[in-house]
Amino acid sequence: MSGRGLRITLRGFWYLMLLFLYAPLAVVALYSFNSINSSAVFAGVSLRWYHALLADDTIMNAFYNSVVLALSSSVIATVVGTLLGYGMYTHRERRLGWLIWLVYLPIVMPDIVYGISQMSFFTSISAATGGMLDLGLTTMVIAHVSFQVPFVALLVYSRLVGLDSRLFAACQDLYANAWQRAWYFILPTLRPAIVAAFFLAFTLSIDDFVISFFTAGPESTTLPIFIWSAIKKGVTPEVNAIATLMIGAVFAAAAVALAFQYVRAGRRNAAG
Amino acid sequence: MTVSSTPSKPTSQAEGVRADPPDETARRAAAGIELQGLSKHFAPDAIALDGVDLSIPAGEFFTLLGPSGCGKTTLLRLIAGLEATTSGTVEIGGRAVTEAPAHKRNVNTVFQSYALFDHLNVADNIGFGLRMQRVARAEITRRVAETAAFIKIDNLLGRRVDQLSGGQRQRVALARALVNEPDVLLLDEPLSALDAGLRSDLQLELMRIQRRLGMTFVFVTHDQQEAMVMSDRVAVLDAGRIQQVGSPQALYEHPENLFVARFMGHENLFEIVDRDEAGVVLSFGRLNGRFTAGTHLLIRPETMTVTRDDESVATADNTLRARVAERVYRGHVAEYGLTLADGTVLVATCNNLGEPMFDVGTEVCVSIRTSGVVAFHA
Repeated sequence: MSGRGLRITLRGFWYLMLLFLYAPLAVVALYSFNSINSSAVFAGVSLRWYHALLADDTIMNAFYNSVVLALSSSVIATVVGTLLGYGMYTHRERRLGWLIWLVYLPIVMPDIVYGISQMSFFTSISAATGGMLDLGLTTMVIAHVSFQVPFVALLVYSRLVGLDSRLFAACQDLYANAWQRAWYFILPTLRPAIVAAFFLAFTLSIDDFVISFFTAGPESTTLPIFIWSAIKKGVTPEVNAIATLMIGAVFAAAAVALAFQYVRAGRRNAAG
Repeated sequence: MTVSSTPSKPTSQAEGVRADPPDETARRAAAGIELQGLSKHFAPDAIALDGVDLSIPAGEFFTLLGPSGCGKTTLLRLIAGLEATTSGTVEIGGRAVTEAPAHKRNVNTVFQSYALFDHLNVADNIGFGLRMQRVARAEITRRVAETAAFIKIDNLLGRRVDQLSGGQRQRVALARALVNEPDVLLLDEPLSALDAGLRSDLQLELMRIQRRLGMTFVFVTHDQQEAMVMSDRVAVLDAGRIQQVGSPQALYEHPENLFVARFMGHENLFEIVDRDEAGVVLSFGRLNGRFTAGTHLLIRPETMTVTRDDESVATADNTLRARVAERVYRGHVAEYGLTLADGTVLVATCNNLGEPMFDVGTEVCVSIRTSGVVAFHA
């Protein structure tokens, strides 16, 4: 194959990949604005399914649960994960490599295994304590925090290892005590990583189905769980509308996370 | 190791960072440093420093010189309090600070690669130490402005750190340390990242600043030229031990051992084979004269005289026949690599007095002046 032919073929693959990635999203978004109840024929633009969403108490309740779950788990995971990432950094030169592996492991663990083990864990605690930690929003928050923490810790850790270790020495040398070092140096320096980690944790939580499904209680249905049960009756334009809103939310959160992660690097390049 | 406690130049209590207004408390007097039996072991088999005794008088420009891994940066970090001692004591300005953490020592450091804070602009970088000491905001602004003017970076105060050149970063790092008016300023190879021209400018400027402030400077470098140009006194370190302490002149002209002689750039180092009433015997011949005790001999290249081979010269005392094997022209001097009869190579440096140079292959006579010869123990 000539160089030109190869280039054209590779470019073709690239567009094909984009098509398979984003065309389904575009179709969902399109049919959410359909004026008739069909996912095959587009009859005209309307917002009736969005109005239907807002009027549906079950959906609004699921939406509320999703937001509460995502926000609370992301806040907790960001705090815990930042501390963990800092701990990994300060102990990186000791023989604690296996501990860092413990942090990495949940990232590669299949969700289904993780979800089932969380469920058995919570039900056995509940059985042992006579009703403490019944499956519900609390157990979901705990489960979500536990899979978000490794991502936060790794983002924070990688920002820290990229720093000149003399910066920490310079802080001490310039009369900063431990609290001042944390407040005036470590937090401002980590801020891009922490903000990026929060939004990453948020997107991981809001679209999680598998782990949520196993750790949810009867009253704590989230949007993904609602959608899963709704499409058993067929894909309705209402589901399309929910999906479109979620796509929008995830895109926004991912964009903010990316922006925060790269804003410094970009600024440096622009100045350099 | 004996360390002289007299500084080679008088300590001048100079103008200070600012033009002291009369109501201001006078600048703290410069402080000396006393190190006794200082050791640092990172692991039982990783000994960075091994029993260092050192006395640095107040107001001295003192340099720690040695190859990488010799322990000079570790020694600096122990003085700063950034590293805990394994044994020994550190005293700064007559106060024992061995156990004090870095943020409780009135000592500041200019770090290698400068370690400026990316998230702060130049003014906030300089004011960081004062802010951590809870100095009033107006006072911080005033002192930052004065120090910046003194270091000639007042035009940079609003800049972000990533907009600065290497030389500007170096100045900001210096201002960030000096603004705190420390007892002692530590400098960890602050010029090593700069190109040659800027480097020699900043060498002179650092010397000027040190003289004006009368502050004790402890400077770390691996560059013996830099150490000789800048320092009042130099400590040569190797393998965690001090090899010799003295003025640049003492180190260059009277090295106390082979390591110091080599590190100061000397090449004409020979083992003494035998010794008698009249002088010493070396592998390639004998030198008449009175030499101090020692197993080795240094012949300084700039004290030798090279002349055209001539019977009347060749028979003179301490004169050897040689052939020019190599010639390096450096403008103000010519360096000759001279091969003696037995193959030994002697390096001689001749001032360029406008006379024709000797070509490679020329037969010459080299006369050794005993004032340029020093004996020492390996």
